[in-house]
Amino acid sequence: MTDIVESTAGTGEELDAPQAGPPERRSSRRALLGLGAVLALGAVAGEGLVGEADSAEAAVAAKAVHHGKQYATASAAARAVRRSHSSLFPHDPHAHLLRRATFGARPKDVKDLKRLGIDGWIHRQLNPGSIKDTTAKKAVKLFPLEGAGPKTILKRTKRYSWDAMVATSQATLTRQIFSDRQIYEIVVDVFANHLHVAVPGEQWHTSPSYIKNVIRKHAFGSYEGMLLAAMKHPAMLNFLSNDQSRAKNVNENLGRELLELHTVGRASGYTEAMVRSSAKILSGRTWDYDTGQYYFNEPWHWTGHVKVLGFSHSNASIYKGEQVGDAYLKYLAHHPATARNIARKLAIRFVSDTPSASLVNRLAHVYLSHGTSIKAVVDAIFKSSDFWAAVGVRMRRPLEDGVGAMRVLNVKRAKGMKDTIGSLYWTLNNQGHTPYGWGPPDGYPDVAAAWLGAGAMLQRWNLHRALVYGWWPKLGWTKPSKMVALTPTMTTMQWTRVVAHRLLGVTPSKKHLLAVIHGAKLTAASPVPTDDWRLGKIATLLLDSPYFQLR
Amino acid sequence: MQTNTIPSNDVLSTLHPDCPDWQRLGPTPRDAAIRAMAEAQRVQEDERSEAWSGGFNRRTFLKGGLGVGVATLGAQLVTSRVSYAAADERSTGTLVVVFLRGGMDGLSLLVPANDPQLLKERPNIGVRAGSLLEFDTARGFGLHPALAPLAPLIKQGRVAAVPAVSTPDLSRSHFQAQDCLERGSSGSLTTGWLDRVLVASGPGTTFRSVAIGGTTPRSLVGSAAPIAMQSVDSIKLSVDKTEVKATTTALQALYTGLDHPIAKQTKLAIGALGTVARITAAAAPADDAVTYPGGNFSDALKNLAMLIKGGAGVRVACIDVGGWDTHTGMGTVDNGDMKRHLGDLASALAAFAADLGSDLLDDTTIVTMSEFGRRVEENASGGTDHGHGGAVLVIGGGVQGGVHGRWDGLAHRTSLGDVPGSNDYRDVLSEVVSKRLNLSAGKLKHVFPGWKAKPVGIVA
Repeated sequence: MTDIVESTAGTGEELDAPQAGPPERRSSRRALLGLGAVLALGAVAGEGLVGEADSAEAAVAAKAVHHGKQYATASAAARAVRRSHSSLFPHDPHAHLLRRATFGARPKDVKDLKRLGIDGWIHRQLNPGSIKDTTAKKAVKLFPLEGAGPKTILKRTKRYSWDAMVATSQATLTRQIFSDRQIYEIVVDVFANHLHVAVPGEQWHTSPSYIKNVIRKHAFGSYEGMLLAAMKHPAMLNFLSNDQSRAKNVNENLGRELLELHTVGRASGYTEAMVRSSAKILSGRTWDYDTGQYYFNEPWHWTGHVKVLGFSHSNASIYKGEQVGDAYLKYLAHHPATARNIARKLAIRFVSDTPSASLVNRLAHVYLSHGTSIKAVVDAIFKSSDFWAAVGVRMRRPLEDGVGAMRVLNVKRAKGMKDTIGSLYWTLNNQGHTPYGWGPPDGYPDVAAAWLGAGAMLQRWNLHRALVYGWWPKLGWTKPSKMVALTPTMTTMQWTRVVAHRLLGVTPSKKHLLAVIHGAKLTAASPVPTDDWRLGKIATLLLDSPYFQLR
Repeated sequence: MQTNTIPSNDVLSTLHPDCPDWQRLGPTPRDAAIRAMAEAQRVQEDERSEAWSGGFNRRTFLKGGLGVGVATLGAQLVTSRVSYAAADERSTGTLVVVFLRGGMDGLSLLVPANDPQLLKERPNIGVRAGSLLEFDTARGFGLHPALAPLAPLIKQGRVAAVPAVSTPDLSRSHFQAQDCLERGSSGSLTTGWLDRVLVASGPGTTFRSVAIGGTTPRSLVGSAAPIAMQSVDSIKLSVDKTEVKATTTALQALYTGLDHPIAKQTKLAIGALGTVARITAAAAPADDAVTYPGGNFSDALKNLAMLIKGGAGVRVACIDVGGWDTHTGMGTVDNGDMKRHLGDLASALAAFAADLGSDLLDDTTIVTMSEFGRRVEENASGGTDHGHGGAVLVIGGGVQGGVHGRWDGLAHRTSLGDVPGSNDYRDVLSEVVSKRLNLSAGKLKHVFPGWKAKPVGIVA
């Protein structure tokens, strides 16, 4: 076998280090000039010399370090952070909370938060049953196959039809756009990616109920409960080949990902033999294709001693195989390494791309001391000062950009909007970010680095134009001229300021307001125009801006 | 109400179930700064091991066939992420890295035809000697017959292969093996090996690196900042021509001075608009175009050819092809997943070579790689499980046709029953990069720090 010879000393490290930049930058500029007309267009517009050290990027990361702690209430944690560390967003805890705890703030969200206060609003969000959510409930009726069970799907659709899968994904988009239960929808998204089954996928008649009965059902419950349910669901057993596993020929796919992705992670130090054990324990868990139902097939269960980390069992009987598996899954759910992984996932989603070890450990402690309660961890995130200090450090991913834009534009439910939701869905598909759409078992990446790209920027900007101008019919769009009250005596600057606060929850700097106004070929002091086309340009540029793209 | 243009994208375009590509997040320079703190570094390591995706499951590939019919299988098979890194000089050649995600079975591609072990352990899926595409008889290897579209290139001596290639990573995790391969290290380097190639090859321009299809491939993570695009066509802004300048000026002003990586992407996006407009305008008329077989991989290569022919100075391009995690149903030379996958791969590569033409192909080197090979013994599902040593194809000008590197026969195994890593990826890649991209030994040591490359003999 190959020897591992690895040196990280010397020049190799320098290449990685941010400070390697300045000489590169100078020579880049020369090379750029030398290239002449071929790349001149790019050069003129760009000024973004490649090879440029990203000292600014390093700075933002360094600045993001905040020595946070837990407080008794979210509002106390918010008060502990006295100023904004963001160069873009002013200190405004309400606006920060709405940027993070919703896909995008509708005017109603702003009102609700003002009325209930930080603690009251979060409490209500964490008890979604207390929210009527009439609009979302009506809206998802357009997708009767959302979350349907195998029996229904077999009865109502053609064999191998994607209808129920696409309906489930599109209904999720609909909920994200219209539901008032925003934190719940965000947590659903986190765990659908954590215990990921790709939708649409081969699991045409089983994955819809996986989303409903495993992910949505347990999203505010215990992770133990969710994990146990996932490992008995046909969609997961099929997605990761456990239904191929036989006592004589154990398939490692699910046993490995269970350790690596779903629970303890590689850092926990399990061995290849433990991966085999993990797969052996799960053998026998399968399902019936014709009914789409789970069952434990005893003859397929591998028997014999198994050991994974601190779990060991004689596993002597095929008839006890399922129980051994449940005990094993409970052991994994309560493992400290699992606690840290779940804590980190949620911290990344709500706080920052690089949450501190301190925050992760505090949240992991909450997870373990609350019987793996997901809701308790989410609650604890808002009670950390880390959350309130991390202003403006997260970037919207494509779905969060599209759904978020529809929310801040306050689009209304309308008859026949199914096609429009479909248009959004396929656009997001082109951008690589539909609900549950990631191919492999590890779920979508949730940090900015994975979603950066010039092409991706253009797709966002183009989507904003479709949404602001209502290019897709059959949805309750608000024309730009109706977004905020428009009086004939208003100057363009005055209108822009008001509409910016309405859409973004923040008033951009004067410099940025002027940039937007000039981008629409208008002047600040002149009377505001009344045509939707010009006003739409202002609204789109506001969505394009970092005030919306960052959160 | 006046609306200026209709959205250009056909919103009802084909679903790519294997898309979005499953390239994983990676550390940016921003992460590198964080790494300075030991604690954060540990966190990041956890994160990375959790994160680096591999598992292109055959299932996700199959669903295309089930859902929309076999005819469109080619389109479903491939993840279409392509990344371009344009160099400062055209004359140094282009490296095209085709990453076969999921763990491509080297023994199906590059077949040790005379090895008696092969059919003993693969009675159902082993490729029989009689059906092989002639390749290097002297060394006892043939190619899977589905690679027949490459036959003309083989005759010209433009196809080389290496068996039993691996990284130092011995895990059978897609995530870890890809991470190790794309970083070019199992150690603590955070940048990708192709990023280091670009850095070592000297400074570039605004348009130095572009990625098609979504996120940045791990091998290009670092300071070279590849630009992502779905295709060359997708680089346009849906506003009236008369509004483009005012809009881009505004966007630039909004992001100037912002301390977040998104600011740089805005600059690059605006720069790319201009460059792509030029290349598209100069592209050859359709009537003398080569016919590509279709599908995402094919489309990606077609776009790449357009950029190379347009003189964009592409130095490094990465393309991902998913669907190689063949735990089940690999099939035979007449039917099944391997035949389809390899056939799609070969026909697209052949079209690409024809499109470039002989002169440009002389300056171009295509390397296929995968995170690991698969186990020798077939499993009960007519597939193979994760293994170790795999096969590499190198196509282009300057290569020495035939099989290179060490091969000890199938009797020679790792303790887990895998083909060993008799040849190291870093040797293969070092040779290609030094000879085809003209990287000096001094610069090469930055690409694989601490690695003393041994000659393999692929490139003359």
